[in-house]
Amino acid sequence: MGVTCVCQVPVAEGKSVQQTVDMLHKKLEQLGAVKQGNFWVDCETYQATGNATGQPTKLLYVMHNSETPLSSMALFEGGPGLTADANFDVLMVKLKSHFQNAKGHKVESRGTRYRYCDFLVKIGTVAMSSSARGISVEVEYCACVIPGDCWNLMKEFMQSFLGSSTPELPAVFTSKAEGLYAPVDCMDTMSQYLELFGKVRKQQVLAGSGVR
Amino acid sequence: MMSGGPAVRVSIESQCERQVQEVSLDGLETYVPPLSMSQNLAKLAQRIDFDQSSDSEQDGPERESREPWSKPEPEEDEGAVKFQPSLWPWDSVRNNLRGALTEMCVLHDVLSVLKEKKYMALDPVSQDPSVTKTPQVFQLISKKKSLATAAQLLLKGAEKLNKSLAENQEQRRQRDFNSELLRLRSQWKLRKVGDKILGDLSYRSAGSLFPHHGTFEVIKNTDLDLDKKVPDDYCPLSVQIPSDLEGSAYIKVSIQKQSPDIGDLGTVSLFRRQPKAKPASQTWHVKLEAAQNVLLCKEIFAQLSREAVQIKSQIPHIVVKNQIISQPFPGLQLSISLCHSTGEKRSQRASPEKSKPDDHLYVLEHNLHQLIREFHKQTLSSVVMPHPASAPFGHKRLRLAGPMAYDKAEISSLQQSEGLLEKIIKQAKHIFLRSRTARTIDTLASRIEDPQIQAHWSNINDVYESSVKVLITSQGYEQICKSIQLQLNIGVEQIRVVHRDGRVITLSHQEQELQDFLLSQMSQHQVHAVQQLAKVMGWHVLSFSNHVGLGPIESIGNASAITVTSPNGEYTISVRNGPESGCKVLVQFPRSQAKELPKSDVLQDARWTHLRGPYKEVHWSRMEGRNFVYKMELLMAALTPCP
Repeated sequence: MGVTCVCQVPVAEGKSVQQTVDMLHKKLEQLGAVKQGNFWVDCETYQATGNATGQPTKLLYVMHNSETPLSSMALFEGGPGLTADANFDVLMVKLKSHFQNAKGHKVESRGTRYRYCDFLVKIGTVAMSSSARGISVEVEYCACVIPGDCWNLMKEFMQSFLGSSTPELPAVFTSKAEGLYAPVDCMDTMSQYLELFGKVRKQQVLAGSGVR
Repeated sequence: MMSGGPAVRVSIESQCERQVQEVSLDGLETYVPPLSMSQNLAKLAQRIDFDQSSDSEQDGPERESREPWSKPEPEEDEGAVKFQPSLWPWDSVRNNLRGALTEMCVLHDVLSVLKEKKYMALDPVSQDPSVTKTPQVFQLISKKKSLATAAQLLLKGAEKLNKSLAENQEQRRQRDFNSELLRLRSQWKLRKVGDKILGDLSYRSAGSLFPHHGTFEVIKNTDLDLDKKVPDDYCPLSVQIPSDLEGSAYIKVSIQKQSPDIGDLGTVSLFRRQPKAKPASQTWHVKLEAAQNVLLCKEIFAQLSREAVQIKSQIPHIVVKNQIISQPFPGLQLSISLCHSTGEKRSQRASPEKSKPDDHLYVLEHNLHQLIREFHKQTLSSVVMPHPASAPFGHKRLRLAGPMAYDKAEISSLQQSEGLLEKIIKQAKHIFLRSRTARTIDTLASRIEDPQIQAHWSNINDVYESSVKVLITSQGYEQICKSIQLQLNIGVEQIRVVHRDGRVITLSHQEQELQDFLLSQMSQHQVHAVQQLAKVMGWHVLSFSNHVGLGPIESIGNASAITVTSPNGEYTISVRNGPESGCKVLVQFPRSQAKELPKSDVLQDARWTHLRGPYKEVHWSRMEGRNFVYKMELLMAALTPCP
């Protein structure tokens, strides 16, 4: 468990999503990273029913991460989050009357996992209803849990293979009460993914054309 | 009638005239008042039988009135009552008395006749001989018949007794079978299928997943001849075990030097001990236990061979016939074999040499049994409901994995991923490493006398870790020179040495490394000893180095050196000790004592002669003393002049 940074890499001009992903893979392998299997992150949307009229319906997102295979994370956008057992999904089925599953909104990111010394790089294709919409890159520095201590190192590392697509410090770290020096949680990673998936969902009109 | 003799008075007393009605409490008797005349008449009238004819009635009283009667009743009423004088109360008494008298007279006469024999004599009556004489044949026949009847009765009785005795014995045998069956049932699981009784000797109910059925059949022993003597080990119940579980088996774990020829593999391991020829009439519990043991050994071996084939390791394990061979260390071979004998004598031997009896590591065999039982327990307990009831099955700690978002590394650390084979190989490695360490230390201790090496092994060990404390001392100077104390933690593949001064060194499994290390420590100890001795003797330490960079290079470790000077500063002893080069001792004398120093013009003052001058080597081997430190002490003492 270390500090993670999730960012989106735009699809290269004139290339498909798969080709961009392959380019990234090659860059990483040239760097000396070692492939270590696959990963997946997915997100399901649940709509809260029976709300007071006038208020927008609250959306509950239930996410899973292959890094924590026995957990399910549930969070509201910008709101509180919950880490639970895998049985949480069964619980959601039981709460069908209060939370309706918006089946068409399931987003997931699948890809390969590379390890470079203390860094774990996961390059995944973000897909919504089996159509690729974008590329997600997650970089985790396993040796540290305080973002303030290692952000510079991570940024430098990301620059070496992402180039210009290097992101800024994620908002989750700055928005915490204790600031940059609070230890990270798996919730931070999930919030970052949620943000990215939200962006991808909004992009759906544009991205649908350049793919296939 | 009476002939002489005194007269016997016979007194007759009438009863009390009046009846006692009541006796009062003070003894006063109240008599019934006598009957009045009319009452008496009524009573008498009741006695008259009016059915009888009046003639007899009338004759009766007339006749009786003529008899000599002393007092006829004056008050008799003639009209109505015809009183019969024979019915007077004393009549019967009189008759009885008269009869008795007659009898007595007759008896008296008879007795007098018998006695006197004057007028009459008694004569036996002659019997008719023809009446009493019966033929002897009849007597014989009758006797025979009666005897025969008696005999028949006796025989019948005896027969009955015999039958009952035989029935009792039969019943006892019958009861024996049932009681044996009860005992069997109290220890083993039995069930009735049709008219057969089957039992289960597998470990399936204890959590085993081995596919063997493990069914045995209970049969009744009826082939006993009641007439012959019952053998001592007769049992009415016997069990029939499956044919592949017959005999006895054990798992042999041994570590040997690697066999140079790979073609040697495949020879079936023999029994180290030949099982005793068991009689066919073995009691059932021994048979069942042996069969269960065979089944467990088969399961262990099946699990081990399955893992040996599936698990990928750097050096693959070889599974051949009934042996699994793996290499824990280079040059070493661990062989686990299942030795199963069915009790029949084998005429041919697979390999001519016998394996050494102490080759077999019993500890590992026992551990294998324990591990498989633990595995059984695990398979069982995972079916047991977890608390809370909503938690998933599995390890207790794993239930936290979800809420705490454990990642894969943490989850795998919680889950046991080691199989039986890996565990047993690790244990074998540890045992081997430990025994080799012990052997190294012991050979060193026996080879080198100065300094001495002591090893204190800890009693409490783990399957994967043991520890030993090694002390290097000089004999006689243990209190002074105790600076080299090493704690060795022997693990599975490495030995970790913790020095007293805080250094931690990790040695590999190579024997040579440990030996070299100990030798270098021993050489360092000598120099340390000089340092401690100097403190005691009052000498001053001028320089001390554990690893000198001068002089010939040692192949094992480094040489150490020390320079000490006497209390008055006149003499100096310099010691250099190396593990290979041995020790070199030089003594520095004051210039005045050196003979070969030429007189120089530069140094003219006499005081310069007190300075220390050239060095001279000491022939250490010719020095007197038991060990190095003793010699050193003597040297120091010799160089300290007496005041």
